[in-house]
Amino acid sequence: MNGEAWRAGIKKYYIYVVLALIVILFSVVKLGQVQMFGRGHFLSPDSLINLLRTAVPILTLSGAFTLLMISGYIDLSVGSAMSLAAVVFALMVLNGFSFLPALLATLLLGVGMGWLNGLLVMKLRITPVIATLVTLNLFKGIALLIVPHGLSAIKGSAEKLMPAWINDYARKAVLLGLPWAFYAAILVIAILAVVQRKTILGKYAAAIGGNRTAAELSGINAVRMGWLLYILVGFFAALAGLARASYMSLGDPLSGDGMELDNIIAVLLGGTAFSGGEGSVLKTIIGALIIMCVTTGLMTVIPAFWQVMAKGSVLLLAVVLNHLLVRARARA
Amino acid sequence: MKTNLGARISNESFLSLFMLGVLVVLFGVACLFVPNFYRPQNMVNILTNNWFIVILGIGVTFLLITGNFDMSVGGNIAMTGVLSVWFCQAAGVSQNALANGLGLPYTAALVLALMCAMGIGAINAFFIARLKVPSIIITLGTMMLARGVAQIVTRGAQRNTSLPDAFGVLGNTAIPGTSVKVAVLVMIVLVVAAFVFEKLTVAGRRTYLIGANPEAARLSGIKVARHITLLYLASGLLAGITGILLASEFKAGVSGRAAGYEFDALVIALLGGVSIAGGFGSVLGMFVGAVILSVVTTAATGLLLSPDWQFTLKGLVTFIAILAQRFALDRRKA
Repeated sequence: MNGEAWRAGIKKYYIYVVLALIVILFSVVKLGQVQMFGRGHFLSPDSLINLLRTAVPILTLSGAFTLLMISGYIDLSVGSAMSLAAVVFALMVLNGFSFLPALLATLLLGVGMGWLNGLLVMKLRITPVIATLVTLNLFKGIALLIVPHGLSAIKGSAEKLMPAWINDYARKAVLLGLPWAFYAAILVIAILAVVQRKTILGKYAAAIGGNRTAAELSGINAVRMGWLLYILVGFFAALAGLARASYMSLGDPLSGDGMELDNIIAVLLGGTAFSGGEGSVLKTIIGALIIMCVTTGLMTVIPAFWQVMAKGSVLLLAVVLNHLLVRARARA
Repeated sequence: MKTNLGARISNESFLSLFMLGVLVVLFGVACLFVPNFYRPQNMVNILTNNWFIVILGIGVTFLLITGNFDMSVGGNIAMTGVLSVWFCQAAGVSQNALANGLGLPYTAALVLALMCAMGIGAINAFFIARLKVPSIIITLGTMMLARGVAQIVTRGAQRNTSLPDAFGVLGNTAIPGTSVKVAVLVMIVLVVAAFVFEKLTVAGRRTYLIGANPEAARLSGIKVARHITLLYLASGLLAGITGILLASEFKAGVSGRAAGYEFDALVIALLGGVSIAGGFGSVLGMFVGAVILSVVTTAATGLLLSPDWQFTLKGLVTFIAILAQRFALDRRKA
């Protein structure tokens, strides 16, 4: 009985402890060279603002990604979808469109990409991993084709300047030094957390992930639900790509590479079962913050060429933690 | 009941023949539109250029038949290549850290590097066969792990100095009288061996049963976890062999080598009719798939499409192939 209570407690709070430990670790590791909260310290205001600004894409996207994984599906194309959205947004801004039309077109593109994934997986019933791996290459390929030959990204040149307002969304401070994009991401998280906990969409997602046949027999239209979730993921991938383009003032066709892995790590750290059926949007967000802390924190401590290794290790570690917490409970 | 030849061949052979037909048509179209496409030298190139993808495709195909992915092969190639170079480089010869290696004898270096490649396979197997974690998640993780080792050992760049002369022999020797490299011979031997394994051995046939119904396979006494473990070790070994051959060909261990090869290996398996739903596919089909991909990419290059087209092209070709195969199989059943 007591052991059960302990286990439940650990499962509920471990992720907050992990985040706290990582923050403490990175704040003491260089204390010999920098002052606590001073310039260059992990917890200095500048560094925190920077961390949260670069975290905007994953914060925007990982909530919808969690809902999709709870329902037992996966989307590996989110990184490429982000890149394509970033390229299209930058291209429109560079060619004189104002913010609103460019935003709407980008989001519409996101809906289209999500719709395509939904069509392939839900309607044509191609295995999710294969369908989205192929669209990963498709979206990336189109993004690369849009960028003119000889350039690495859609960006301003001597003849055609990128308007300065492209930064307004994801870089310019509006409150507490943070930009609009950050508050938009917080709003998205809040809405999706409520959707997951309080609405029928959240319950249905968990039901489909838990047992699709049972869910269908009890009258849930699994095809339509899954399709809707893919469209949501595409929509938020586009918003995330737009934020990335606005932050960097350019549309880089490779800027979203690896986003699917960051999302998977965040979701696993957050304790969502790999096979679907249970999970939490809010805990994924904590998982996303852990990844961002590790990525930015490590950069101050070890050389950049350790990054890939570090991320791979975090993924395998997240799998082990997830296994111990989710599986052990399921067996009990 | 009518029994004609068409009804007697298995679904796998049917799909292989179907894709062979597609290949012939594609080749004919390419010959019409692309200058010099019909030349014998070009045909030899089409059959042999993709040797590294075909070798990877063998492991990937058998794993797909059991219902598992292996996305770690590209990273594994980079890691094995870099490690084989590092082990071989002379020790303590230069101020430059990237010019100093461990100074091991050539054979020992290769054996050690291959063992490391199988180590990646062992990690995959442990998580997938023992802990039952979805293979896509784990192999994406080990992909980064292997690529990470390659980047750390080369500091994000490459190692190419103070190598013994023997290092470059394997990858640059041609079969006497032809321009065909030893690596292509390795590919042919491995494909034939895989074909024999698939058709004539008990273990080969068990692979299909595991993919079709893992629970039934377990109940009929097949050690499923051990079988999948061995397949992942084999896939790691094949990636290792490819890594060493490529490192030898360029006489360098490059940390960025083989990016995206895991996708190409998956694509040729899918083009060859392998199904992730399990229990379906063949090595010969995979080889036909590799030649199709080769024809398409060579024709695209011949038509002066920019290299940026390759991602889009591969994506489209794969979708069309998956849908066409499903359509053909449905028509056959009806």
